[in-house]
Order: sequence, then structure tokens, then C-alpha cells
Amino acid sequence: MNDKITVGIADMKMAKGSGVLITYALGSCIGLCFQDPALRLGALLHVMLPMNMEAGRKNPMKYADTGIRETVRQMTGQGALKSRITVKIAGGAKMFEVSGGSLGNIGQRNIESVHTILRQEGIRLIAEDVGGTVARTLLFDVASGQGCIRSYGRQDIFF
Amino acid sequence: MNIKSFDQLNSLELDTLREIGSIGTGNAATALGQLLNREVRITLPEVRIMGYNEAIDWIGGPEAVTAGVLVGMGGQMSGVMLSVQKLEFINLVLGAMLDVQISDYGELEEMHQSALIEVGNILISTFINALSGLSGVAVNLTVPGFAVDMQGAILAVPMAMYGGTSDYLMTIGGNFVCDSKHVPCHLLLSPDVRSLNFLLAKLGVAE
Repeated sequence: MNDKITVGIADMKMAKGSGVLITYALGSCIGLCFQDPALRLGALLHVMLPMNMEAGRKNPMKYADTGIRETVRQMTGQGALKSRITVKIAGGAKMFEVSGGSLGNIGQRNIESVHTILRQEGIRLIAEDVGGTVARTLLFDVASGQGCIRSYGRQDIFF
Repeated sequence: MNIKSFDQLNSLELDTLREIGSIGTGNAATALGQLLNREVRITLPEVRIMGYNEAIDWIGGPEAVTAGVLVGMGGQMSGVMLSVQKLEFINLVLGAMLDVQISDYGELEEMHQSALIEVGNILISTFINALSGLSGVAVNLTVPGFAVDMQGAILAVPMAMYGGTSDYLMTIGGNFVCDSKHVPCHLLLSPDVRSLNFLLAKLGVAE
């Protein structure tokens, strides 16, 4: 597990055959692990916001809706079948308890948006660890499809 | 002309913001000095406009754990202000106020957290008061929130707030020097673009 490929914020990386993808410190952001097991093709996407309402659309990976669609498009471009792709998600936490304002709900809105888009696209969500108040670092092994979530002050979770 | 994104600020506007940072952080340092009963000075404040991943590298990597006090701003200016408190700063505060030292964030008890929230709140309120007095912009502050977690996720809070309008994060702030030791306490002001335009117009530097 030493050849990790880092996925930044509003970013997506793909790997085929073998490799571990990692994205750090998901707070209200959501990390999505896509896999086509037959091809051992995997992708890790780190989205920050629920919906793309930006006029310029410079970075589709920032948003759940455009990020998921673009990732699936690139995976099918590599020969993946949409019906075989499975997804595991982590993140969507609420980092600060602050009264008033809209900043507290971004995590929850991200979770709901990801669920909706996956349903619309007909992609199976097979595991999730979302919500709560802890930040998560997400590792994804593209060969086995296993994910691991590291958090501060919490046991590692494998899913 | 109003800016649409943080990377469009010109050098006069950046200088003005640096000055705000200097006055705000200076006032906060005085308040902290009175509270701790020792001399607290500031390092040269910075205005930084960074991409997301750059911002996280700048603060010291995504997974390092830190404490953070966050206050939301409303009224004529919206955004958030963060006080990022590392272990050195925490020990300085807890040592002076409660005569306690900790070696890990896990040792923070409720009483310690309460003291840190209060100090964070005082620093932030003092900073905003100075800004408000200088510019005539009325700002309301929310009750502070507190978290101990990976700093990448803490910094992602202001990023997610403006993510829909900007690919950059702007921070104004500085560090403290106490007993000639550098004590990292990033005091970060992150206004949204609209508020920033309003603030600059109030100060008479918007083009």
C-alpha cells in the first residue's frame, strides 16, 4: 500500500488493475469510490458541493452532479459497463455546530444530492459511511474494491 | 469595477486588505495579551489567495489534527472567520488561564474547550470590531462553533461556502509572537466575494 495516488479536492483519479487511491480529510465533502470489478477499474472522486450552478463550468469534479456523470463517462470510455459499476461513499460530515446561516447543512445536502444523482444514473450504491461530525480520510484499493476510512479519535472502518 | 473572483484583486486592494489584517490581528493580539497578562506581538500579516489544495498544503497538510473555533459573519458582510489553534497555542492559553498543559488534543476536557472557545471568540470579535470601526461596515457574529479534527476538513468549511462562486480561498490573517516565541494561531478572515467588494467600496479603494 505504498504507491498511493492522491486525489485532491474537486478532483478525480482513475486506476486500472492495481493501485490505491487516497483522498484526505473529507469534511462536508464526499468521496466516491467507483469500481467496475470485471475490469478491475476504479476511480475515486472528491466532490465539494451538491449542484453545479456555475456558468463557466471550469471544474466539473467540484460538484456531485457533474462530477459523477463525468467520472462515469470516463470509466465507460475505458470499457466499463454502467450496469457493472458500483459505488461506495464517505463524508458529508458537519464540522461545526453553528446556529443560523446555511453553512451547517452542506454535508447533508451533498449526501442527498449524491443519492439522487446515483439513482438517476442507475448506478448501484453498495456501501456508505456518511454524516456525523468527524472528518474522514478515504483509501480505495481498485483491485479488491475495498475502501478504508481513517478518522481522528475513531477506529478505522473497512467497507 | 467589482471583482468576480479573488484572483482579480489588484495590488492597491491587496494592500488595503493587508492593512485590515494588520489592524485586526494587532487588536486581537492586544486583547490576548491582556487576557494572558503577557506581551503578545504579531508577525507580518498576510493576504493569501490560494487554490484549495494549495491552501491545505500551506496550513500544514490535510491530516494534521488541530483545534478550530469558527464564527459566521452576517449583516453587511458575510463569510466566516476561523481561529486555527495548534497545540503550542492551546498550551499557552491553558497554562495562563487554568495552569494546565496537554500533550495531545485528546486530553482536552470540557473546561479546556470552553476556555479555548472563549479565547477564539475574543480574538475574532476584536478583529471584526476593528474592521467594523475602520470601514463602517456593520457585521453580526454568530455564536462560535468548536471542532478538533483534521485541519483539511476544517479549512474546507470556508471553501465549501464559496465553492459555487470561486475556485480560490482568500485568507487574511497573521500569527502571534509571545515571549519571543512564535505561536502559530492562524486567525483567518474569509469573506465572500460580494462582501469583499462592499468592504473595498466602503474603504474607497474599489475602482
